[in-house]
Amino acid sequence: MTNDPRDRASDTPRDAQSGGGTRKAIYAAGGGLALIALATAAVQLDVVPRWLIGAGSSIEETAAATTPDDQFTPPARDAIPDSPFGDAVRRGEAIFTNTATNAGDHVGNGLSCSNCHLDGGRHPLSAPMWAAWVTYPKYRAKNDQINTMEDRVMGCFTYSMNAQYSPAGGPPPHGDDIYRDLESYFFWLASKAPTNVSLDGIGFGKVPKPEGGYDLARGADVFAANCAVCHGEDGQGQRDINGDYTFPPLWGPDSYNWGAGMSRIDTAAAFIKNNMPLSQPGSLTDQEAWDVAAYLDSHERPRDPRQTGTIEENRLANHDGDEILYGQVVNGVLLGQGTGPSPARAATMATPSAAEPQN
Amino acid sequence: MNRYLPLSILALAILAFATLMLVIAPGIQINARPAPEGLRPYTEAEARGREVYVSLGCLYCHSQQPRSGDQAPDGERGWGRPSVAEDYAYDQPHQLGTMRTGPDLLNVSARLPSEGWHLTHLYQPRAIFDWSIMPSYPYLFDHKDTAGPGDVVVALPAAHAPADGVIVASQKALDLTAYLVALDRTYPAPTNGLRDHGYGSSEGPEPTPAEEAR
Amino acid sequence: MAHKSDPKRPAEIYEPYEEQAGVPLPVIWIAIALAFWGVLMLYDTGDSVRVSLNDRAEDSEALANVTPDEGASLFEANCATCHQPDGEGLRDAVPPLAGSEVVAAGPGIIARILLRGIDGPLTVADATYDGHMPSFASALSDAEIARLASYVTTRWANGPDGAASSADDVTDLRGEVADLGSFAGGMELARLIPSLPPQPPMPAPSAAPRDDADVLQLVFAGRDEVWSCASCHGDLGQGDETTPRLAGLPAAYITKQLHDFREGTRVNESMHLVASGLTKGEMTALGTYFATLRVPSNAGAVLSGDLARGEELALQGDWSIGVPACFTCHGASGFGVAPGFPGLAAQHAPYTAAQLANWAGGERHNDPLGLMAEISGALSTQDRRAVADYLATRPPVPAVAATMTRMETDDDQ
Repeated sequence: MTNDPRDRASDTPRDAQSGGGTRKAIYAAGGGLALIALATAAVQLDVVPRWLIGAGSSIEETAAATTPDDQFTPPARDAIPDSPFGDAVRRGEAIFTNTATNAGDHVGNGLSCSNCHLDGGRHPLSAPMWAAWVTYPKYRAKNDQINTMEDRVMGCFTYSMNAQYSPAGGPPPHGDDIYRDLESYFFWLASKAPTNVSLDGIGFGKVPKPEGGYDLARGADVFAANCAVCHGEDGQGQRDINGDYTFPPLWGPDSYNWGAGMSRIDTAAAFIKNNMPLSQPGSLTDQEAWDVAAYLDSHERPRDPRQTGTIEENRLANHDGDEILYGQVVNGVLLGQGTGPSPARAATMATPSAAEPQN
Repeated sequence: MNRYLPLSILALAILAFATLMLVIAPGIQINARPAPEGLRPYTEAEARGREVYVSLGCLYCHSQQPRSGDQAPDGERGWGRPSVAEDYAYDQPHQLGTMRTGPDLLNVSARLPSEGWHLTHLYQPRAIFDWSIMPSYPYLFDHKDTAGPGDVVVALPAAHAPADGVIVASQKALDLTAYLVALDRTYPAPTNGLRDHGYGSSEGPEPTPAEEAR
Repeated sequence: MAHKSDPKRPAEIYEPYEEQAGVPLPVIWIAIALAFWGVLMLYDTGDSVRVSLNDRAEDSEALANVTPDEGASLFEANCATCHQPDGEGLRDAVPPLAGSEVVAAGPGIIARILLRGIDGPLTVADATYDGHMPSFASALSDAEIARLASYVTTRWANGPDGAASSADDVTDLRGEVADLGSFAGGMELARLIPSLPPQPPMPAPSAAPRDDADVLQLVFAGRDEVWSCASCHGDLGQGDETTPRLAGLPAAYITKQLHDFREGTRVNESMHLVASGLTKGEMTALGTYFATLRVPSNAGAVLSGDLARGEELALQGDWSIGVPACFTCHGASGFGVAPGFPGLAAQHAPYTAAQLANWAGGERHNDPLGLMAEISGALSTQDRRAVADYLATRPPVPAVAATMTRMETDDDQ
């Protein structure tokens, strides 16, 4: 435009007098608007450096950066509907995050569902419940039958929550409201998820066993350096001033029993690698994850409730071929004998003798 | 240039308008405001300390006007809530300042209420912060063999303490410290306090009972 | 000026004048563009100021009128982390409200407990609890305490609404109980509520370090090159602005920080000077001294942070940016879990926000595993203000006397 001879001509006062002024005004305004439009377009198309327009990183951007697009996202907490169903979802969430109180009759240790299913069963690779929900019913070799979600949760109570030392002495019976509420919660978490598929983030992930296997002594070092600050030097967790477990115990009478999935080293290693230390997932190497998983699963914990005969018979029946130290001799002690309930727990058990049959 | 009269009238009118809008109107607006409940007048010693503050030119490096969170992170710095006009009710003239070579001091006592700390810091800032660029004010202190009755001895780390004797604060240093320790405007701002509202929400939420109780 | 060799050099009599030159068009374009942009900016800013002014007006209106539903949300915000949303409490840790003999005693008792807190064992609904409840006197207004007390009684003791306490009652109560401190467990409650079941005895107080003359000397008078603790942290260790509240922090945590200040692994010049003048034994004694202090909160939300966002971060975290809930590690209600995890409740917002910024920037790095560095780095400035403000509004940590059990290792790491 600037090379247009008519433009130059309009610069002279003589032309201005002869109506060039109006033309000039039009050119000027048009050019100004064009500049504005150009700058707006440049900002919109993101070709302007961020520092130039003073845009910082917003929360939304950070969030988007860390969540892959194809990851399923459960509905937000405040989206629970106000309805009888919503009430069941809320009750289910309360059971899930505060199991010892809301399903206390069937909990025989110091754990909650949400200790391993982080963020209330929402977090990918910590066995999120939205991913589990869409894969049931399914066949499980663990009990050689088709499992509904209720069967599966019953297994959680039996092993991970160690129901044998609970006041009731066992998991909630089939048809209990606890299952209704929990399943409502899982179903709601899986809102809009496709069904009968393996969603990204299911389970704890897999961590291949290192070529050299694992080493308990190295595991002890990894534990002291990375885990003890929260779970305690003795692995017994830490409580707040009111005696409530802030950090869960990893072994001993208040932890999961020998029948729990977490007592298998490969499962524990995958959970640890992908979730621990809290807020620093992936900071341990595969080798360290296996070493420390083996270390914490080399400690005694409540007995396997399926055991009817000797430890060796139970090992062959239920643990053969698993990555587990059950039934093996570690540091001169046969693992799998069980810790028995803690004194405080024994006092609350309805029928201690029934729950603890003589071996 | 021969139309002096209209030119002069125009110039005076512009001047008068500016004075009206920039001096008289704000003056009327501010003078009508009562001092906030949480603010008390300076005591004798504090008022003397304020004179010392002025005479030493503290103003040239220290402002006394915390900004709101959308203008500067003064809240996180511990400099206190954004100030309002009423906070300066007893400051004639105010010591707002424009330079922030050092930290803002309007609420210095809220974060550093220790008289001992201030005396050490005035005597030799490098005794505490080895990177400090604040001048030291040794002439506000006396070097004595032994502290007399009523003398305030300055706590000093070995590297900055005199080889023998003690450093005691002069009256000027004590006054200045009294003034600094009186600088605490963290009481809740009057809900309709006069201030520039900046670019966004600049006042905090309603004060909690704890704040009101202070 | 024209050059001599210029052929168009004007004659001597030529009076030089400047020809009227047109302003180049591009300059006019830019001027018009800037003017347009300026008007847009003015319009934009004016709008946001109006919006924020309206927000404030709505906020203050909302605070003035406590609606009936307010009780439920007050309970959710202040009680549910410990007593749980359904009032069932935590087995072996926090007494239930449902079926509680204390709740059955009526809103007056509830209001007293909210104002004073509880510090001692008590038996409720056939179970005995350690009993560490903070005082909400500093966190809640009179109207809020009245509303909350009525809500709790109505919901769990089927109390008639007529028995509801009013804000004026609470104002009177506040004065009445101001100097009483916390309830000494179920024993003291039983004196007010005759219908309570037999209550466990209070543990005998041990010789607390607050009786130790040397510690008191350090706290209140200082020594040679050491300023007294109280001169900055206040007579009761309550702190202000960027000077932290010490009362109720875990003893081992305070001791470790003093140690780190001396070693330079935590950088603060003033504290370096102080800690350098202390012996190891004195650090331990000071830690225990401040850990056992029980002081009302003087902190408040002063950073204009978004309290709802702060609550979300503290209770649920934001896993999309890799931030777990604060209370996951710092204990329910932010009371702290010694020695690695200090109490956060009632800490001054500027201090908390400044520490978060220090971790994010690497100036502070004495935390276990670098946990806080990563978490702080993931938080935006607004998030840090929000969570610092929220934590400042929480009731203070119920400090525990030295005799009472507390999962606390004495190792001096």
